[in-house]
Amino acid sequence: MRVNDRVFGMLMLILAVAYGWEATQFPVPFGGHESVGPETFPIMLSIILGISSIYMMVRPDPDEKWAPAAMLVELTIVVLAMLVFAWAIEPIGFMPAAALVVTFLCWRMGASVSKSVITGVISSVAIFFLFNHVLELALPLGLLEF
Amino acid sequence: MDTISLLMQGFAVALSPESIMFAVAGAILGTLIGALPGLGPANGVAILIPLAFSLGLSPTSSLILLTSVYAGAMYGGRISSILLNIPGDEPAMMTCLDGYPMALKGKAAEALAISAIASFIGSFIATIGLVILAPILAKFALKFGPSEYFALFALAFATLGGITGKNQFKTLMAAAIGLMIATVGIDISTGVQRYTFNTLELFEGVDFIIAIVGLFAISELLFFLERHAGDGLKQVAINKLKLSAKDIIKVLPASIRGALLGFVSGVLPGAGASLGSFISYTLEKRTSDKGEFGHGDPRGVAAPEAGNNGAASGALVPMLTLGVPGSGTTAVLLAMLISLNISPGPMLFQQNADLVWGVIAAMFVGNLVLLLLNIPMVGIFVKLLSIPPKYLMPIVTLIASVGIYSVSHSALDLYFMVGFGVAGYIFRKVDIPLVPIILGMLLGPEMEKSLRHALVLSDGDWGVLFNSGLSIGLWTVAILGLVLPIVVGPIVRAKMARSKNSTS
Repeated sequence: MRVNDRVFGMLMLILAVAYGWEATQFPVPFGGHESVGPETFPIMLSIILGISSIYMMVRPDPDEKWAPAAMLVELTIVVLAMLVFAWAIEPIGFMPAAALVVTFLCWRMGASVSKSVITGVISSVAIFFLFNHVLELALPLGLLEF
Repeated sequence: MDTISLLMQGFAVALSPESIMFAVAGAILGTLIGALPGLGPANGVAILIPLAFSLGLSPTSSLILLTSVYAGAMYGGRISSILLNIPGDEPAMMTCLDGYPMALKGKAAEALAISAIASFIGSFIATIGLVILAPILAKFALKFGPSEYFALFALAFATLGGITGKNQFKTLMAAAIGLMIATVGIDISTGVQRYTFNTLELFEGVDFIIAIVGLFAISELLFFLERHAGDGLKQVAINKLKLSAKDIIKVLPASIRGALLGFVSGVLPGAGASLGSFISYTLEKRTSDKGEFGHGDPRGVAAPEAGNNGAASGALVPMLTLGVPGSGTTAVLLAMLISLNISPGPMLFQQNADLVWGVIAAMFVGNLVLLLLNIPMVGIFVKLLSIPPKYLMPIVTLIASVGIYSVSHSALDLYFMVGFGVAGYIFRKVDIPLVPIILGMLLGPEMEKSLRHALVLSDGDWGVLFNSGLSIGLWTVAILGLVLPIVVGPIVRAKMARSKNSTS
């Protein structure tokens, strides 16, 4: 099967066209046109991307196997967990957020629940103190702030 | 003579207590990073950049720290090659060929010690080469005008795939994607907004450090999850070291030859460390009369290891003098320089002479530190290597995110980091190389600037790009770099595969 490259090439071709078209729509810079404007370089890039994506569709490489659907769902959950962690640093504080995300990641990578919790708690507390007290970079305390 | 006095001044910088401290810390961290499978040198340096940045280290200290990490990672890579038969990164592959059989024979400690000595010789000779060659090249590069620079950047992309590159169009595509990301933001010379969609956060463009950490570190985590590789691999037990002076003398010639070959292939665009260690190994195999290569010959460990480290230092020559990195890790070091507001290139040697020579001197110091660290302390690194990735990778991810967060204290940067991680995962699935993307983001602004300069000077005549002998030469090499791998690549790859198969 050589589907991956064809699909990806198609997406990149769409990107190349959209990117190139957008470049022609840039407003004329203050001071009028020059021989090279802000659009020259982007147009060159869209041509290069266009050519290579067409090549990719015409002469695709053999596919690398995608993970089974269950694994893709799991990877999506992991990605969401990292996004939630990013969001949570400020409202709930670095230590709880980091402890939760590290615990979750360890567990998903195959560690037992209790060991995951230990790793999560120790690493988040250690990194918090390392950063706040040794390296003097303030990380938010969040809920733990009294 | 001039060079020597500059180098002496460099040593004055490098031997200050602060610099030594950073060199030692970098060496230890680097060895760890290199030794952990799946956490290659580029990855490790990328994670440390935001940390060095937010700690507010001086440019000299942060560069010393990161070049020692870089050198250390090259040392560390051999530990997993020898004990696990898994190369930490591609150039370390050749070390597996004889290193792992040696370990199986119960000579793991000897293999580690010999490779440490060979690594030292490789880095040492190549650093001397750097001292000699870099100022000459920098002087030569002062002749470059904007059109030559444009050609040089094109050359950097064309040769990045290396002689062993598989699909040149994918390298090209990756470069285009990187350069496109670099165009996001307000155009410096006209003030026109490009691809910002009127979002305030995009006005300054996309920070390449976030992209590097996302593309390398986060995508690696996803791959680990997918492969269920959380438990790590079985490693060969380590024995007590019995190494005599005679054994060391026996591998000296191999190491020196390997170092020289490695240095040359590190400097040349497109050759890179993989080719350096490959050539060193095959040459050694051919010249040595009655060896047992492939079954644990010490010279088969020394030659590629010296070549690998020689190439690593050699790759710094084009990076420092021309601002054009030849490998993933040097690209990441370039990112470091740019984010410290130092533009690499020929002017670096004139404007920041103390910094350059300080770093070069620090490489000598760091190298010695690494040798001293690696022989007695190898046991400690081996212990750390046995921590399963299921605990390590989440912690590494956490440290990476803290680094990103502490630069700007914005959650948005972390969203971007995760986004780049997902993109990196998809790119790797369709075999789009990540390094040209990074390089495109780094070199994009400079490349566009030189194109504009050249065209403004010539009043819009595109012929200016090819009007000097030098730029025509650069374009020729660029085109060769793009076309040759299509012809020669399959042959070299087949040879590499054959020498790997014949031994395993």
